[in-house]
Amino acid sequence: MSMKYAYYPGCPSGTTAMEQDISMRAVFENLGIELVEVEDWNCCGALEVEDPELVYALNARNLAIVEKEGLNIVTPCSICYYNLSRSNNALKGDEELRARVRSIDDSLAYNGGVEVKHVLDVLANDIGIEELRVRIKKKVKAKVAPYYGCYIGRPPETAFDDPDAPGLMDGLIEVIGGEVVAFNYTKTKCCGGPLMMTVQDVAYKMARNVLESAKNAGADCIALACPLCGMMLDAKQEDIEEFFGIKIGMPVLYITQLVGLALGIEPDKLGLNKNVVDTKEIIGKVM
Amino acid sequence: MIKTWDLDPNFKYEIMKEPGGEHLTSCFQCSTCTLGCPLTEIIPSYNPRKIIQMSLFGMRSEVLSNPDLWVCLICQTCTARCPQDVRIADLLGAIRRIAEREEEAGKLKIESPRPRFDKAFEHQLAKYGRLYDMGLAMEYYKVKEGSFFKGMMAMSKDYKKFGMRLFKKGKMGVKSMLPEKVKDRGVMKKIFEQMGERR
Ligand code: SF4
Ligand code: SF4
Repeated sequence: MSMKYAYYPGCPSGTTAMEQDISMRAVFENLGIELVEVEDWNCCGALEVEDPELVYALNARNLAIVEKEGLNIVTPCSICYYNLSRSNNALKGDEELRARVRSIDDSLAYNGGVEVKHVLDVLANDIGIEELRVRIKKKVKAKVAPYYGCYIGRPPETAFDDPDAPGLMDGLIEVIGGEVVAFNYTKTKCCGGPLMMTVQDVAYKMARNVLESAKNAGADCIALACPLCGMMLDAKQEDIEEFFGIKIGMPVLYITQLVGLALGIEPDKLGLNKNVVDTKEIIGKVM
Repeated sequence: MIKTWDLDPNFKYEIMKEPGGEHLTSCFQCSTCTLGCPLTEIIPSYNPRKIIQMSLFGMRSEVLSNPDLWVCLICQTCTARCPQDVRIADLLGAIRRIAEREEEAGKLKIESPRPRFDKAFEHQLAKYGRLYDMGLAMEYYKVKEGSFFKGMMAMSKDYKKFGMRLFKKGKMGVKSMLPEKVKDRGVMKKIFEQMGERR
């Protein structure tokens, strides 16, 4: 496949979500799709930069850098996607805003020539389920709870899947030989991540709800596509267990890790030794 | 009970001038937002519809001092479902920014630590262009606890086990102790100075 994207890794790619970055690069390399890391990218603003115009200006710089390369941009993070994509829409549709942003600095001169994509969209639609079916070398015989969280099916102007019953990840899980468990009620519920540092008990209750729903549905693991969800559900899982005095023990994998396993990539090359909850059981289901 | 003499008829226009607040008056009070909000399962009194209604009435001080402003997850479920395109999540953000300015002007005290967290986050970006987790945590805990020392104590209590867990997985090595920086940091400063909170 001679496809090429600008790659926006996002801030947690070097720390808490390094396995997402590692597996993303490994999967795209395996598929023969070139990823060119956005040169000197800056943070998208996450959910903490609340002024929308500030978010637009921050991302105008990222988009302008990519525009010079003549590429479209892909990111594995749902929050980065949301910010890059809504900034792209706002800047494309508003000449006055573009001019105002540009007047801050020449490096913010963006003309609206970039498309922003989430990795789930690229895997399921640009590459496509049928192409993946041909590339798959192994089956991942696991029961998987596909967890979409926010910014995939909503808000409407940046959504790329159904808001109530998203299915792109379900499709990927099926093509790699996994079984999708009944998880519809929870798959688009927020993980609580945005409140982790400020209203911890509420954040923990929300995350517990996602983890327990997956467990009750009989899942062997949760699949997801956002580093903040990964932080809440994987890295914080032990804290949540301790807080409520419960035991969950639910492995949490990035969708790129699961797809990578089916492509026959070695577990370590997918960062499966970096997930906090042990992933050996899932690796054991690859045949 | 509403005290009519306390109402501020201009409050709705104040909100609508703020980016994200533009669609306030489209609301017809159907409560779809509240009924679908995931927070209401945990905080039963949480009610974005009511915040909108109070805003429309002009209950400025009640709205700006409402602690519920600071628990919204920005999950956008309400925005997706609202039949009137009110964009509730963005609207609550607009109201939060008005409240923050009110606090800066010394007219309001916000109990929630969230504005402190958001500010600390913005400071990392203005300085480095990328999120520096350690810098964020250190500044946030210092401001929240009132002193550097108390902040460090509280932070190590909250994060000891979590930090060890990440360290064992090689996610908290030397690399994460130091900030990752964009090369062109001057532009970051300019963006925050010229675009943020201009009003
Ligand atoms: S869903 Fe929309 S129209 Fe209905 S109450 Fe909420 S904001 Fe108003
Ligand atoms: S964005 Fe806020 S108000 Fe809207 S559904 Fe999510 S938590 Fe509730």
